[in-house]
Amino acid sequence: MHEAKLCLALLDLAERRAADAGAARILALELAVGEWAGVAPEALAAAFPLCAAGTAAEGAELRMARVPGRDLVLRALEVS
Amino acid sequence: MCGTCGCAEHVPGEPPPPGAALRIEAHGHGGPGEARRLGVETSLLAENRARAEALRARLAARGIDAIGLVGSPGAGKTALLEATFARLGREAAAREAVVEGDCATDRDARRVAACGARAVQVATGALCHLDAHLVEHALEALDLAGVARLWIENVGNLVCPAAFSCGEARRAVLVSVPEGDDKPEKYPALFASADLLVVTKADLLPHVEFDVARCAASAQAVRPGLSHLLVSARTGLGMDAWLAWARDGRA
Repeated sequence: MHEAKLCLALLDLAERRAADAGAARILALELAVGEWAGVAPEALAAAFPLCAAGTAAEGAELRMARVPGRDLVLRALEVS
Repeated sequence: MCGTCGCAEHVPGEPPPPGAALRIEAHGHGGPGEARRLGVETSLLAENRARAEALRARLAARGIDAIGLVGSPGAGKTALLEATFARLGREAAAREAVVEGDCATDRDARRVAACGARAVQVATGALCHLDAHLVEHALEALDLAGVARLWIENVGNLVCPAAFSCGEARRAVLVSVPEGDDKPEKYPALFASADLLVVTKADLLPHVEFDVARCAASAQAVRPGLSHLLVSARTGLGMDAWLAWARDGRA
């Protein structure tokens, strides 16, 4: 499975967007997970805390919603 | 209240509220400044899609037809390539190139190179699929001068390759008859990503329960209009039709 690799890409994107917005901490990440995206939400949830350790998203909440289609989209961040 | 930190976020040990099954337990405890929401709306798969599109265009511009092969380990992907090159003959096979993806070993690259094709092996380690980036790097090790066709044989896997184009112009998904005719029903995403269904090891049909019509119909349920071919690399059954598809994408 490739969720850890996707998790690192997710954190990279989230940290860049948070920094652009002048935010120091990422509190939550909202993801839309396509039914056919080849992504298991459970595996992503398991990989996330390990990948997020030491980043601005350490301890952040990962909110995932299953949607139709084959994409994996970072919809929004909650930052402070 | 959260027993760990005292925040009102969740109650450890209690069942999650309806619709919260996908939430994980870790949660933020705030920092300096007020919490605010940032819209992002960015795809995490878009980078691979863009790379694949660029690679597809680059290969097409060089007159190279790129074909992806996906299927489970042991579906007969490499055997089909060996039979294809044997049928083309060594002279024509020298204009065929192959990127082979496996977790370990260069066995498959050696097998197709023995048939006269140019081959490079990508050993992915723990990675479960090829993507456009891996293929780009693999192509650096291949001399593509005079190559008419590039085959991209993915890691044997019915799940992950579905989400990652490798820059191929079209994709064939293989199901061997010993695997069972229910594979398109069980792994719909991969079949939805394919342009041709190839039922392999047809010489074993008398020995196993495999309903070709059912397999084809269930693949068409997720990929309307998907054509299928019945082939045997061993006996040569269906190989002419397969070669015709490899040439022009029509089956």
